[in-house]
Amino acid sequence: MSGAVILARELGLTFQTGDGAVEALSNINLDIREGEFVSLIGPSGCGKTTLLRAIANLETPSSGTLQVNGMSAEQARLARAYGYVFQAPALLPWRKVKDNVALPLEVMGLDDVAGRVARNLELVNLKGFEEKFPWQLSGGMQQRVSIARALAFDPKLLLMDEPFGALDEIVRDKLNQQLLELWDRTKKTIIFVTHSIPEAVFLSTEIVVMSPRPGRIIDVIESDLPQQRNLDIRETPAFLKIAHRVRAGLKAGHSYED
Amino acid sequence: MKIERALPLLTVTLAIIIAWYLACVPMNAVLTTNKIVTAGGGWWNTLAFSWNEIRPVLPSPHQVVREIWNTVFAVEPWSNKSLLFHLWVTLSSTLVGFVMGGLLGILLAIGIVHVGSLEKSLMPWVIASQTIPILAIAPMLIVVLGKTGLPDIFTKATISAYLCFFPVTIGMVKGLRSPDVMQQDLMRTYNASASQTLWKLRLPASLPFLFASLKVSVAIALTGAIVAELPTGAVAGIGARLLNGSYYGQTLQIWAALFVAAFAAATLVWLLGGLERSSLKRMGAHS
Repeated sequence: MSGAVILARELGLTFQTGDGAVEALSNINLDIREGEFVSLIGPSGCGKTTLLRAIANLETPSSGTLQVNGMSAEQARLARAYGYVFQAPALLPWRKVKDNVALPLEVMGLDDVAGRVARNLELVNLKGFEEKFPWQLSGGMQQRVSIARALAFDPKLLLMDEPFGALDEIVRDKLNQQLLELWDRTKKTIIFVTHSIPEAVFLSTEIVVMSPRPGRIIDVIESDLPQQRNLDIRETPAFLKIAHRVRAGLKAGHSYED
Repeated sequence: MKIERALPLLTVTLAIIIAWYLACVPMNAVLTTNKIVTAGGGWWNTLAFSWNEIRPVLPSPHQVVREIWNTVFAVEPWSNKSLLFHLWVTLSSTLVGFVMGGLLGILLAIGIVHVGSLEKSLMPWVIASQTIPILAIAPMLIVVLGKTGLPDIFTKATISAYLCFFPVTIGMVKGLRSPDVMQQDLMRTYNASASQTLWKLRLPASLPFLFASLKVSVAIALTGAIVAELPTGAVAGIGARLLNGSYYGQTLQIWAALFVAAFAAATLVWLLGGLERSSLKRMGAHS
């Protein structure tokens, strides 16, 4: 594991809204190394999604520096450095599963479309669903299609914005397990936005705890859990210790409110 | 069609036919009163004369049906006594105008969606164009276009196109903007070009809007073609039949032409509906 995939220094982002300026991100300093699984966790309005969107060059920071793969965020986007998974599957309803996964390949003009589609659908355990339309799949399956789509052009960086937020807990547990296996097989760098403490602790090698008004980082926790994990790990003292620290951080962030 | 679906339609149709037959009595009274009195009066004579005038003010339904039968099925389709011949004259320019107007409408919408200044500069003109009565502008268009030496069909088609591009523009602007922010962001993360976003996201997403607009447009295009035939003194076409009928007080001829035109418009809308269903089905639409 070497090389900084993400490097943020004194990053700030202010939205101009109808009732004045909102400081969505303030003084963000963050290093993410290659191959890490980093969760951004915090309550609504803490800027975790904004930070992810800034990394994806879907928002433009107002101050500070932000580098993605040693380039500016815009250059990284133009170089198609990352795959992005949204809160909702955002599949195109008129395309079959295989054609949805092929969408980035068509846009980028890559070859071996059929092979890439097959490999990535297999990666998310959706082999055999190629000819289905999105509405024929469950919510969890749709989100797996969108993960396959994000991975289709083999980016080294995967940005995920609360991808399982809309799913029930049983499905979410299963997808978390599958995501870890996928990460283990593909060695991607993953940045994962969530507001679920167990999800963050279970998945991550590093947990970035954020707090609102202004959106800022209040703690960065390195996880010492083993790489190979299954859901039972959530009952172990080591897991609970990290979860406790995350909860404490979130509490501290809230303390000067109310 | 299932009986539950057909029943309401049949009920309304029946009510209209009854009201129509009843209306024939007072409407034709000016022609029939004397004859009814001469024949000895009574309700039977009243109905018999009101419903069977040779040149009625309001022809009765069975007279219109008989006239349609006589001019559609009982004559050679290429003779100028045939309504089919006249319908074809009007329909051909309708279809040319519909294609012209549809393409213009789509192109305008693509321009408006992609170039911010076009919305501000073009939209007022697009709307203003529809506030001018077509009857006022049609004769001028005919004079101007007549000088260009283009075939007559293009003159008529231009008027159809002038009327029918509007619903397509309005519908397509909405349709091309229908993809949500997430889908647009998705294309952005791929660094997709504007034309790739148009072809792969905006146009497919706009298809349901396009079909809804086209169904309105095709009916308007037919109206446009008929209107275009009125000031030209055209000798052929549904419009010519209407004009001819009103010159010579041939109400039967007018009503027959109207019904054939309405039937043609309904058929065009129905055909587009079929095309819509099959296209959207291929694009994964369910139910």
